[in-house]
Amino acid sequence: MTIEWLHPGLLLIAGAWLLPVLRGRLKQAAMLALPAAAMVLCFLSEPGEYGKVSFLGQELTFGRVDKLSLVFSYVFSLMAFLGMVFALHVKDDFQHVSALTYAGGALGVTFAGDLLSLYVFWELMAISSALLVWLGRQEGSVAAGFRYLLVHVFGGLLLLAGILLYWLETDGSLAFGDMRDVAFSASWWLILAAFLVNAAVPPLGAWLPDAYPQASVTGGVFMTAFTTKSAVYVLIRGFPETELLIWLGAVMAIYGVVYAVLENDGRRLLAYHIISQVGYMVCAVGIGTQLALNGATAHAFAHILYKALLFMGAAAVVHTTGKRKLTEMGGLYKTMPITLGLYMIGAFAISAVPLFSGFVSKSMIVSAAGEEHMLSIFLMLTLASAGTFLHTGLKLPYYMFFGKDSGVRGSEPPKNMLAAMGLAAIACTVIGIFPGLLYRHLPFAADYAPYTLLHVSATLGMLAFTGLGFFLLLKHLDPTPTISVDTDWFYRKSAPAFAKLMRGPVSRLEYGIVGQIYEVVIRAPVLGAARIFRLIDSGLVDFVLVGLGRLTQLLSRGLRLLVSGHAQHYALVMGLGLLLLVILALLVP
Amino acid sequence: MSFLQRQLEDPVRLKRIKRLSIAVLVLVVVFELVVLFATDAHHHFAVEALPAFGSLYGLLSCVVIIVVSKLIGKLFLMKREDHYDD
Repeated sequence: MTIEWLHPGLLLIAGAWLLPVLRGRLKQAAMLALPAAAMVLCFLSEPGEYGKVSFLGQELTFGRVDKLSLVFSYVFSLMAFLGMVFALHVKDDFQHVSALTYAGGALGVTFAGDLLSLYVFWELMAISSALLVWLGRQEGSVAAGFRYLLVHVFGGLLLLAGILLYWLETDGSLAFGDMRDVAFSASWWLILAAFLVNAAVPPLGAWLPDAYPQASVTGGVFMTAFTTKSAVYVLIRGFPETELLIWLGAVMAIYGVVYAVLENDGRRLLAYHIISQVGYMVCAVGIGTQLALNGATAHAFAHILYKALLFMGAAAVVHTTGKRKLTEMGGLYKTMPITLGLYMIGAFAISAVPLFSGFVSKSMIVSAAGEEHMLSIFLMLTLASAGTFLHTGLKLPYYMFFGKDSGVRGSEPPKNMLAAMGLAAIACTVIGIFPGLLYRHLPFAADYAPYTLLHVSATLGMLAFTGLGFFLLLKHLDPTPTISVDTDWFYRKSAPAFAKLMRGPVSRLEYGIVGQIYEVVIRAPVLGAARIFRLIDSGLVDFVLVGLGRLTQLLSRGLRLLVSGHAQHYALVMGLGLLLLVILALLVP
Repeated sequence: MSFLQRQLEDPVRLKRIKRLSIAVLVLVVVFELVVLFATDAHHHFAVEALPAFGSLYGLLSCVVIIVVSKLIGKLFLMKREDHYDD
């Protein structure tokens, strides 16, 4: 690390370990100071390349600071701050350390100038966010966390394989930039697939609604921000103007909406709307014009804030009522009016109501589709817009806060939760009223005017008549106590079936065929060889050993005659010996 | 009794809210028509030049989303809550 630039992500990752050793107010101060410091560092960063490290002959760049990485770093660090405010009352150091590490990983991905350091932070995010799922400590959190981790390990392996192939294809370059040079090569596909896993693009996206509702109440708020939006960032960086993404994104925008109709779990419904909203961004990356890429960036920025606000609202309800399902709620407006009000600001923002942030960001993407004369994309995105308002702005608040009074009372959440929601709500409104504040940080210079008469009038018409449709069809929208299967069905159902197959038919087959082959090829020759060795052993080796034993016995019997143990015999032998010596001495000259 | 509760639990006021909502719907359509015919707003597509396109498409989208999603859900996707518990 160079002195002139301190990596905000590393600050969070290293600083997180301060929290377990601090106590009380000091800990809470550190929880806020760390992301605040990271935010200041991001805002003070000047474009340039920092933190160049040579590792195993590769040049790694930890700090590529340009307009694109800066604007994402602003919103990531801001989100880390809001998330910590929201989690301030939680007495669980593990969660805080994981959350800060996760946010730090996202900043690391944002500033990574090469694929290897990108990969390191990518995996760090996967692990720390899986911890947030496990720390949900609910029934099902452990299993959901493992499924989440397995999907991301799979994605990480795709990325690693892609990076290795990229390194081979480009003769030793690991620089991360526009991937057009290697378009449609194996590495291009692998890296794109890894990015699409994290962006939760169907059919690779079922991990998101599976895991997020299982995460801890405050951890889930962090999760809404970082994984999918850092994936959007790397897509903007590496895959602009990839036509495939236009269609994937538009389908994705509708896919999330369809599932949201069927969903009964409040946070799962919101999770499907993350998929829908990220669909707009993926689509914009595919369109790839300057306006579209600006739109993807602006929408990611606005989305992080309003989605965090929405998730905080739903999390506050879960926190105070302990209920997650819409079928078990209703009538909460009486006891949680502030939560309702703040939630509705987020709902207006995501629904792109004029004067709220979604309006000024989403419209850039829809306009970009318009400028390229993509009618079907325009219609698909507008349809998804109506669906967004229908669910997030009408269905969820209706059944959660109004609707049939369930008798569940609840109360306003702790002050810090309300404060975090308040700050996010202010951000959503300020961006909506003063879009210039956001636009000037976008990667490309653009003089885009969101508030045209046509656009405002069409949007208001669309929203108002979606509302009409909602109330006309209200009885068809009643949530039902069901779950909806997504593509995770394939691995969730197939894993037990696979185990059954293995234990049953496959193990019998294995015994019948492999076992028989083993019998003939291995067991019989081995037994034969063993018999031969046994014969050699008993015939030859035993004969020799037994023979040696007998010989020794014979000799010792002979010796025993000499060694009688009587002193007179020994004296006699000695006398005989002396006599012999004397005779020898006389006879030999 | 909070403000919201007063509004929603009093049938007279609820009726007033309903009338107000209908008025908003009408106003929105009028606004769209005025923008279409009285200004030279720039359209990207011919469909946008339909009278009150936003309102029409909003209502259509809402109905299509609900009907089609429910259909797909009932046919394929929706399962009992213990679907994954073996």
